Amino acid sequence: MKIVIDDTRCTGHARCVVVAPTLFTDDDRGYGCVIGDGSLTDDTMGEARQAVTACPEQAITIVD
Amino acid sequence: MGDSTSSFQMAHAPMATDRTAGCSYFRDQGDVFESNGIYFLTSAEAVQFAHRHPEIFASGPAFESLGSPVPLVPLAIDPPDHLRFRKFLDPMFAPRVINAMEDELRAQARELVRAFASRGRCDIVTDLARLYPTQVFLTLFGMPIGDRDMFIGWVETLVEGSTAESGTLPTAEVAAAAMALFGYLGEFIERKRADPGDDMLSKILALRGDEAWTDAQILGLCFLFTLAGLDTVTATIGFVMMHLAEQPELRRRLVADTTLVGPAIEEILRLELPAPYTPRVTSQEVDVGGVTIPAGSMVQLCLGVANRDPRRFERPDEIGTDLGDRGHLSFGGGIHRCLGSHLARRELRLVVEEFHRLIPEYEIEPGAQPRIVWPSGTHHLTSLPLRFEPAQEVG
Repeated sequence: MKIVIDDTRCTGHARCVVVAPTLFTDDDRGYGCVIGDGSLTDDTMGEARQAVTACPEQAITIVD
Repeated sequence: MGDSTSSFQMAHAPMATDRTAGCSYFRDQGDVFESNGIYFLTSAEAVQFAHRHPEIFASGPAFESLGSPVPLVPLAIDPPDHLRFRKFLDPMFAPRVINAMEDELRAQARELVRAFASRGRCDIVTDLARLYPTQVFLTLFGMPIGDRDMFIGWVETLVEGSTAESGTLPTAEVAAAAMALFGYLGEFIERKRADPGDDMLSKILALRGDEAWTDAQILGLCFLFTLAGLDTVTATIGFVMMHLAEQPELRRRLVADTTLVGPAIEEILRLELPAPYTPRVTSQEVDVGGVTIPAGSMVQLCLGVANRDPRRFERPDEIGTDLGDRGHLSFGGGIHRCLGSHLARRELRLVVEEFHRLIPEYEIEPGAQPRIVWPSGTHHLTSLPLRFEPAQEVG
């Protein structure tokens, strides 16, 4: 399982960075970016789900 | 429903003392409906569709009725020009920039709370909510804090004037406030041009060639910031403190664990937002939610109603007990997502933390019922009187 951001939908709310700091960091513009390849473990799955819910643009998804 | 025979009148929404009832009045008309020639989008899906299609739902023409003599950069700029402005402005309002300002912003919040903490009562609107965002704005621009009260006077007059029922002409008072604010901002820009610093305005003034902004664009940006960045935070401080005063259990959780302050603010923001109706004008005919909107139509994106869409949010009219961020639309969405969202969130959190540090227990003055100005294009409380045990230690 991996977490991905759809760049065509992201507009820089940066909520993912706040609710899932293990998985996301922000760039110079304040846009959230996936750290590494976005692979999820049992430990980070909770944060990942929170990021999906918190994104106002529904730009974040968990994929197989 | 959905036709011009609808009895919907925005002014009739029971919004003044109860946003839950007020939003229901909108939602009961349908996901998309027309009234008096204006199309209202109320479902989360419809609002999000408009956010994702700025080429259809144009922002520029929607602000023409304000009659601003300068372009309101970047809100009233449409693609493709819009991206150039946001790429330049976004980094200056990024979370990491706000982080660097946090100590200064916290000290200012602390000072304002300290001024009334030993009195045992305050009015959140006049003693805190109006003062703080204006100070922060002046700090951000490197303007003298001493100009705060003059600024507040101009902005209040202008915001009241610009959100009045459309069709009414600006009063002499509004025109005078606009003139005074333009004069002040113009003079400040000239001073920065002559003596640049490390601030945002100096960076814009330093742009050359194709990147350079016109004088009108720079003035328009400053003007928009004062219109969009002050009154909105003022209003939201009022709403946040109102909910915390009304819900002692929630408040005590935040006092005991300050990491819950941010999440609680998100939920309050979902329910109570200062700018719940964003205007757009359609550039072409478009079908949304089963309604055909003709080209050239005025559209209102009802963010506050969409934030309570039962198809997206469980128990939509309540603050979620787990305080999880549910992805609200209070800062808008799409390319015009509020530029100041990270700054606004920080201001709100610092105000709550500093208030609770000196005044952890408080309640609304018995007999007072907080109400918003209604009808209005923006939501804000007129007054929020609180009483509390006078703080002993105000150090």
